[in-house]
Amino acid sequence: MTVAAGVLCSILLFLATAVLLLQNVPEGYPVGPHLATLGDYLPGYEVTWRGSLYGALYGFLIGAIGGFVTAVYWNLTHYIALGVMLISSAELAD
Amino acid sequence: MGNYQKMQAANQSIHGVNLKLLNAAIRFNALMLGFTAGTLAAVVIYFATHISLAKWGDYSGNYLGLLAIFFPGYSVSESGAWVGAFWAFVYAGTFSALSYRLYGRVLGTRIADILLSTVPTENPVLKPSVLRLHGVSLGAAIGVMAGLSLFFSTSWLVVRGTADESVHAALFSNYIPGYSVSIPGALLGAVELFLMVFVACLLLASVYNKIVEVRHQ
Repeated sequence: MTVAAGVLCSILLFLATAVLLLQNVPEGYPVGPHLATLGDYLPGYEVTWRGSLYGALYGFLIGAIGGFVTAVYWNLTHYIALGVMLISSAELAD
Repeated sequence: MGNYQKMQAANQSIHGVNLKLLNAAIRFNALMLGFTAGTLAAVVIYFATHISLAKWGDYSGNYLGLLAIFFPGYSVSESGAWVGAFWAFVYAGTFSALSYRLYGRVLGTRIADILLSTVPTENPVLKPSVLRLHGVSLGAAIGVMAGLSLFFSTSWLVVRGTADESVHAALFSNYIPGYSVSIPGALLGAVELFLMVFVACLLLASVYNKIVEVRHQ
């Protein structure tokens, strides 16, 4: 799940930046000022082609961490719940 | 009669699947996923609020504060972080649990097809069988939930009478052509978002399944 979520987030952030860059913006107007505020949290990120590559890298990291944490937490809750069920059934059998 | 209804009608094994056990597993997993996603979302909102406070102090909350439209009582403050965590838990938990229930319904007895191996493992509790993801079912489930979420959140902006002021929500039109903060725009946006999420889920499932197959060869 770590790699899969990382790849998906990487593509999403790259595309989110690329879509804005491919739009026609009047000269002098800023491109994607709202998305560019991600740069406050992700150093180096900006709405440029170079920034979109940074975005892809950050997207992979964020997705991978999110996927890993979700998978670990998901497995943990299942182990705990199954453990409780096993103990309960063992007590009932006694 | 749909796949899920067939399962409900006959409480017996179909295609080697114990239907009673499958239904119980879907309910259990939906609850677990709701709890997992809800907790993670709560943690993210809690820390995002505190990071915003630490970084911008009194000037924080320009964008994050907009969450108050959907999170009653939320603000970018110490106490607001707890309120935000509560609402994030409710929204993400509900979204995830319903998505999983829908995934289970769409998948139905085809679950037997996505088992990596039909041979039972030595210890099914500590080393359970691996399930691959069914991209189409996953896309349909999460796509429907995402589409509905966009429709209802946009409708809420229209109902509360702030559609014309919702300049940030209107920015979705950069990614969803034809979307606008209106009921027709929300309907069109929901359909387009469904398609986008569907494709994203197909990609996620194909990458996940490929890695799982390589790891268990």
